[in-house]
Amino acid sequence: MNSTNNVDFLKSLVEEKYKVNKTEVIDQYQISFEVEQVEVHRLLSELKLEGWKQLSYLSAIDWIDENEFEMVYIVFNWDRPVHVQIRTRIDRDKPVMNSIMPIFEGCKYYEREAHEMFGIKFPGNPDHEKQLVLEEWDDMPPLRKDFDPQAYSDRKFPVREYNNDFVELNGKKSKQKDRLKRAERIEQVGKRGNK
Amino acid sequence: MKKYRTVSLFNPFRLWKYLFKKPVSHDMEDIFTKKNREVLRKDTFLKLKPKRESSPRTAPANLRGFHTNDWDKCIGCGTCEDICPTKAIEMVERLDVPDKEGSFQVRPTIDYGRCCFCALCVDTCTTDSLNMSNEYIYASDDADNFKFLPQSTFLGEEVDMGWQKDEVSNLLDKERVKMDHVLPSDRKSSFVEVVKGYSKEYAMAEAARCVECGVCTSSCPVQMHIPAYIKSIWENDVEAGLRQIYETNPLPGVCGRVCTHNCETSCSIAVNGEAIAIRWLKRYIIDSAPTDMYEKMISQDVSEVIDAKVAVVGSGPAGLGAAYYLRLMGYNVDVYEEMALAGGVMRYGIPAYRLPDTSIDKDINFIKSIGVNILTNKRVGKDISMDQLEKDYDSVFLGTGFFKVRNLNIPGADHKDVIGAMDFLPQVRDFERGVLKLEDIDVAESVVVIGGGDVAFDVARSATRLQMLKYGKTDVKLTSLENEDALPASMDELIEGGEEGIEFFCGNGPQEVMQKNGKVTGLRLWKCLCVFDTAGRFNPEFDDECEQVIAGKQIYIAIGQAPDYDYLPESLSSKVKIERGKIKADDNGQVSDVPWLFVGGDILRGPDLISGVADGHRAAKAIDSYLYKQAKDKKSYKKVEEMREAAIHNTPGFTPKQQARK
Repeated sequence: MNSTNNVDFLKSLVEEKYKVNKTEVIDQYQISFEVEQVEVHRLLSELKLEGWKQLSYLSAIDWIDENEFEMVYIVFNWDRPVHVQIRTRIDRDKPVMNSIMPIFEGCKYYEREAHEMFGIKFPGNPDHEKQLVLEEWDDMPPLRKDFDPQAYSDRKFPVREYNNDFVELNGKKSKQKDRLKRAERIEQVGKRGNK
Repeated sequence: MKKYRTVSLFNPFRLWKYLFKKPVSHDMEDIFTKKNREVLRKDTFLKLKPKRESSPRTAPANLRGFHTNDWDKCIGCGTCEDICPTKAIEMVERLDVPDKEGSFQVRPTIDYGRCCFCALCVDTCTTDSLNMSNEYIYASDDADNFKFLPQSTFLGEEVDMGWQKDEVSNLLDKERVKMDHVLPSDRKSSFVEVVKGYSKEYAMAEAARCVECGVCTSSCPVQMHIPAYIKSIWENDVEAGLRQIYETNPLPGVCGRVCTHNCETSCSIAVNGEAIAIRWLKRYIIDSAPTDMYEKMISQDVSEVIDAKVAVVGSGPAGLGAAYYLRLMGYNVDVYEEMALAGGVMRYGIPAYRLPDTSIDKDINFIKSIGVNILTNKRVGKDISMDQLEKDYDSVFLGTGFFKVRNLNIPGADHKDVIGAMDFLPQVRDFERGVLKLEDIDVAESVVVIGGGDVAFDVARSATRLQMLKYGKTDVKLTSLENEDALPASMDELIEGGEEGIEFFCGNGPQEVMQKNGKVTGLRLWKCLCVFDTAGRFNPEFDDECEQVIAGKQIYIAIGQAPDYDYLPESLSSKVKIERGKIKADDNGQVSDVPWLFVGGDILRGPDLISGVADGHRAAKAIDSYLYKQAKDKKSYKKVEEMREAAIHNTPGFTPKQQARK
């Protein structure tokens, strides 16, 4: 069986039985379906029965402007080589997605990671709130788009003064300071007109 | 590149080689370096020799370990500092690295408390000097020790490379947005401007390539703040760009077309790609700024607030530069110009296909609109004497330029069909303006141009156009001492000139103008072996056995221009020292024995238009400090005082190149 047939097979399998919001055929080895949140588990079970037995990855994307997270599940079939992405949008304010542990038990680490990085809760996964890689993290989940890495750095690692060994002026006047001052002034001139 | 590789049927067997390979694993005990062994092994009593020495550690080839920075490549552009999401990178000043055009004397330091090893700094490095090693172990009990100044070694040790930028991870856009040019076949028979200019979309796309490092600023003679106005283009705020430009350059429309653009040569993107089209972006701002936007720029009248008058002789770039800034500082300025139109070489030397009158007018009209008084058809020395100027004004600025033809001393050169560039080019401009008719200009069917600079190309390409109009075909030959790869003219000229059908005979020296029956028939050339001698002086050497004669009925000479000091009266010329055509003066152009006299432009420093503007600006500041104290009436309006301060503040220093020439 050739690979084009695999994509067609998947399209008819999924699109006939499920309400698909968006189908995207990336190439002969990759296809993506966006479905409603409630259909994810049924669809993943069906794909598993059809041979997509391997959960390759599970993660999320933060669409902050739309106030949504997009969950992405990637499954793979070793007999019919197509990566299938199942995508769904969930609410960003109360991000809850039922765990898929009953279908793919190995998801438990991915779900822990998604919780740590995005703060999504996975009822059904008893360990989902357990820390995975971030030790003693006390800020908002860092892969959320509104996380400010610089502010975090500033809070956790105060700016260190230069070790004087690095600066080498040989008693001469700093040119850098003058240059920055001049640059700043000229930039300001432009903005003045827009008041 | 294929998306999916086709793999061999035998591929699985390949993996068997790993069957007998020793697995890679290191005991934690072994993983330490000379640098941190004391910390890691503080509690051990026995310090065995192998443990004291650095142990090999294995890491994947693309590991994002501690940074290395090759200082020979690094230009201190600071792009790494800007992109760093955790502000771990900070540039520190190092005046021990050489001060070169296109670089800053700063180098990055990295605070590894903050660094998240994302490698964005590596992927955006303009020179590829910053890389990551596969060194990942370092320990110290002092937090201050985690701030490094990366060099090509990691803490003095040679290390293997880890993460390096590749085509996929590269964040810089190295290709310039294409500029439309009028096709050679269309432009050859008219003086229409060759470069069409960017549209808004194209200008914004080009502006988006800029990394705002600003290394270009130090190589610009007036030190324009280039990143600021490029950012304004990107933000689609033409007005802000216009204001920023006028802080340092009163002739932006002209510079946007014909500047020698040292900035582009030193652009950090040019290290590995094509420079940002800085000159054309500046032109975009000026071309798209409507007149009323100019009016808004200086809202308050620049009225005479300082009771002192300055005369400027010559309305070229230096003269107008001085006049503009003096006016901003509140002085009364009169500019004397011998020709009918202001602008000097801009107006009469550069052909219209490079610099149309409309864009010169736009710049000069703004200078006039702030109250600079330009008196045309007034030659100092003829219509008004220098002595009179000395009497009537408190200070005089000379920016009279090099407008005279420099002659070539070869046999046969004193023929009427051996023509100087500066005699020919003003005629061409006047023809384009309709002052002269085609019949008035004597261009032969075949001409030879001597010279390899921009002026030589101006002559050759103008002659091409006139021949096209007159005879319908062209025959222009250009010969220069320098080979094609070392021409002083810009690359654009060579390419565009070639497209227009100019034949090049580069690398040859003229020996004799051939004549027959009193008419010029051609030029005898010898191969030029080298232009400069070992001491770096101009002293061409020829191979007389490699001789050729090229045919042409006219010879044009464009081997440089000379000054004209006829206007200086006896009383003054005895005090003014002239060395190799240039007037001796201090850095700001003040003539030492004549404190009220200032000079600038070609007669002080040269060699290009923008250096003239810089001289004018410096002289304006010097004139101000000479006159301000003595002036009796100094009404202080806050706005004008601010403008005066800005003009003083923005006075450019010398570029590294100018510094070296001194």
